[in-house]
Amino acid sequence: MSVWLLLIGLGLLGFWRAWAGYPADDKPRAVLARRETAFVRAAAEVLFPPSEELPLSGAQADLPGYADGYLADLPARQRGLVRALFALFEHATLIWPGPGLGGFKRFSSLSPEQRLAVLRAWEGSRSSLRRMCLTALKAVLILGYVGHPESLAALGLAPWKIDSPKVGADFLYPPIGQGPDAILHTGRVETGGGAPLIPRVDQESA
Amino acid sequence: MSEAETENDGEVRVFAQYARDFEEEADVVVVGSGPAGSVMTYELARAGHRVILVEEGPPFTPSEFRADGNISMARTLREGGLRSTTGTFMPILQAICLGGGSLVNSAMCVRPPNFIFDEWSTRFDLERTTRADLDPHFDAVSDFLGIAPTPDDVQGPRNLLFRDGCDALGIESESVARNVRGCRGSGECLTGCRSRAKQSMDISYIPEAIKLGARVLTSLQVQQVLGEEPKVRGVAGKVVEPFSGRTSHSFKIHARWVVLAAGCMATPILLQKSGDLANASGQVGRNLQFHPGAAVAGVFPEELNPVFGATQGYQSLAFLREGFKLETMWSAPAALAVRVPGLGADLVRRFGELPRTAIWDAIASTHRSLGTVKPRFRSMNPVIRWQLDPEDLKVMLRSIHVLAQIFFAAGAEKILPGVHGLPQEIHSIEEAEVLREPEVSPGSLVTASSHIFCTTRMHGDPAKGVVDETGACHGFDNLYIADTGIFPRCPSVNPMFTVMALAHRQAQALGERI
Ligand SMILES: Cc1cc2nc3c(=O)[nH]c(=O)nc-3n(C[C@H](O)[C@H](O)[C@H](O)COP(=O)(O)OP(=O)(O)OC[C@H]3O[C@@H](n4cnc5c(N)ncnc54)[C@H](O)[C@@H]3O)c2cc1C
Ligand code: SF4
Repeated sequence: MSVWLLLIGLGLLGFWRAWAGYPADDKPRAVLARRETAFVRAAAEVLFPPSEELPLSGAQADLPGYADGYLADLPARQRGLVRALFALFEHATLIWPGPGLGGFKRFSSLSPEQRLAVLRAWEGSRSSLRRMCLTALKAVLILGYVGHPESLAALGLAPWKIDSPKVGADFLYPPIGQGPDAILHTGRVETGGGAPLIPRVDQESA
Repeated sequence: MSEAETENDGEVRVFAQYARDFEEEADVVVVGSGPAGSVMTYELARAGHRVILVEEGPPFTPSEFRADGNISMARTLREGGLRSTTGTFMPILQAICLGGGSLVNSAMCVRPPNFIFDEWSTRFDLERTTRADLDPHFDAVSDFLGIAPTPDDVQGPRNLLFRDGCDALGIESESVARNVRGCRGSGECLTGCRSRAKQSMDISYIPEAIKLGARVLTSLQVQQVLGEEPKVRGVAGKVVEPFSGRTSHSFKIHARWVVLAAGCMATPILLQKSGDLANASGQVGRNLQFHPGAAVAGVFPEELNPVFGATQGYQSLAFLREGFKLETMWSAPAALAVRVPGLGADLVRRFGELPRTAIWDAIASTHRSLGTVKPRFRSMNPVIRWQLDPEDLKVMLRSIHVLAQIFFAAGAEKILPGVHGLPQEIHSIEEAEVLREPEVSPGSLVTASSHIFCTTRMHGDPAKGVVDETGACHGFDNLYIADTGIFPRCPSVNPMFTVMALAHRQAQALGERI
């Protein structure tokens, strides 16, 4: 009897830790659950604090929105893997707690200092697997943060303004998902390439 | 008339056009539209044969390219860009799109030097695979694609600094020859050339093949080769929805000749899923080799405008005999930022250095590090086992040390070597001594690879290899393989040009038999 009670208790505790108590999301998401939004937000806040170098902080760059779009574009299996990565970081504090009082709380409930310390432990881990997980997490979030149009513009790395010439092949292929009716049927076939681009002048931020 | 409607049977079919199960018939079916499959298709169509080219991915046009590295990889690469090895972990980049790797590669076209082919021909009984044998085929591909060295006006500072650093140290370097016409130096080859300068297969060989009557059926995943030793009858599979990978209708293509050009992972899986076809030697899916790449970032005192410049415009072949090749590189800036070490304020401060940062990389010929490819349960995707050999790790570390020397010779104020267990930043050539033979494990390096070889290797002896010098499967009348899987060893330089030259030769040999 007591074993059953213990198991039920643990089950409830597990359920609460994994699912309950997360704040409602402020936007509808295609994929991201509210617990994942909370995690991404909490990680972004400490990974990318306000700075002189970039106009936005991680908290301002809508990284949950970015992660949601990325997950939606991934095939199902890989989407599951990235979501598992988020869950791993969110709950690994059970095994590798943050420093100080309440370090066993889930990642998104830790203080910013504790969260940074947790991520530092992953970064400095002797296990290459743990370091690799951190690199993977950083990869998802950095692409959203540095790739944010305002970050790129501030760094002088904004995309080029390019009007793609219509080469022969552009009269062969319809846009993905559409049929032959959507193929470009009229227009002049142009040669590809062109003059060298000029930084700033030909960039979108110019 | 649009070019889609040619005077002959040439056509492109896309996902939206498959409403039911279907069957087709051709002289030759080519599976996979990467550099090898496209050259085969064009050359065979030019010789007057009825060719069907089958490709699992969709055709992309510039409006479908995405500048964001994650999103671009999710759309154009296998397993959303998240394919990797087990054993020694390494991300693997392989395309799923019309044109295969050529759509998202840097267009570097490098002929391996004589000694590489001498090794191939002597070690693997390939008497007619010397550089002299292949030169006419390299020339033919080069003429078709307009392969030429990258001109200085689109190199940009981050490529030219590599040249300067090499010059200062007396290391030979050269501008990279590429299959590009009218490069604008946008540095976005890896997310698709919006300028339509890069001569990827989808805008070069494939349209020309269609004009000659080739039929190009996209969004079809071949799942089985029909037939058995010594004769195959065609291929069968399913329609695949772009991006989601959901399969629907079935198809069969009956053909007198079958060419598998599905790439170094998919071809052995197809053979294994077709009753372990062509595997009398036991070599299908074995001998897997890579060129693992390791990148070093260097921060210079002045702004480099690094967005400008050919994606990979300069290289050095000076260390090929030692086992590595050096090159410059660029990609979506945010993707490169992933290379930046640190967390929190440190990390963001270093992002501020990106405009002054160049990234150069080394690819290593890791001949000792072998692996295997097997199908994942109920999937056409692979389980890739591979282990980086300690001797090959030493070669990679040596290459990082040489890159550090070139950076400092070019005037870098610091480098970020990207090796766990070593300092995150190194500020002088003296400090860079820590890179000389450090005690680190394979997991300490951040590597990735898009050069993959040997899983259906060529060997003159049928007991030791899967195909002969013409790419014909040993023991078969009419089954060919044309992709980087047939390389007997890793070629030490970027493989696209070599696989196209080999395909050119294979098409001639097959054309003569037809
Ligand atoms: C990001 C990146 C950068 C690179 N840069 C360079 C470079 O600058 N220079 C260089 O020399 N090399 C480069 N490479 C490597 C080079 O692109 C590849 O070696 C080359 O594309 C291999 O050609 P392939 O024809 O053997 O196979 P692939 O190009 O892989 O083509 C195989 C094709 O088969 C299709 N296919 C697979 N399975 C099936 C199936 N079951 N049914 C139907 N179709 C299928 C695939 O979708 C794919 O289109 C790069 C690769 C990548 C990914
Ligand atoms: S550098 Fe830019 S313009 Fe030149 S080939 Fe690559 S993508 Fe095209």
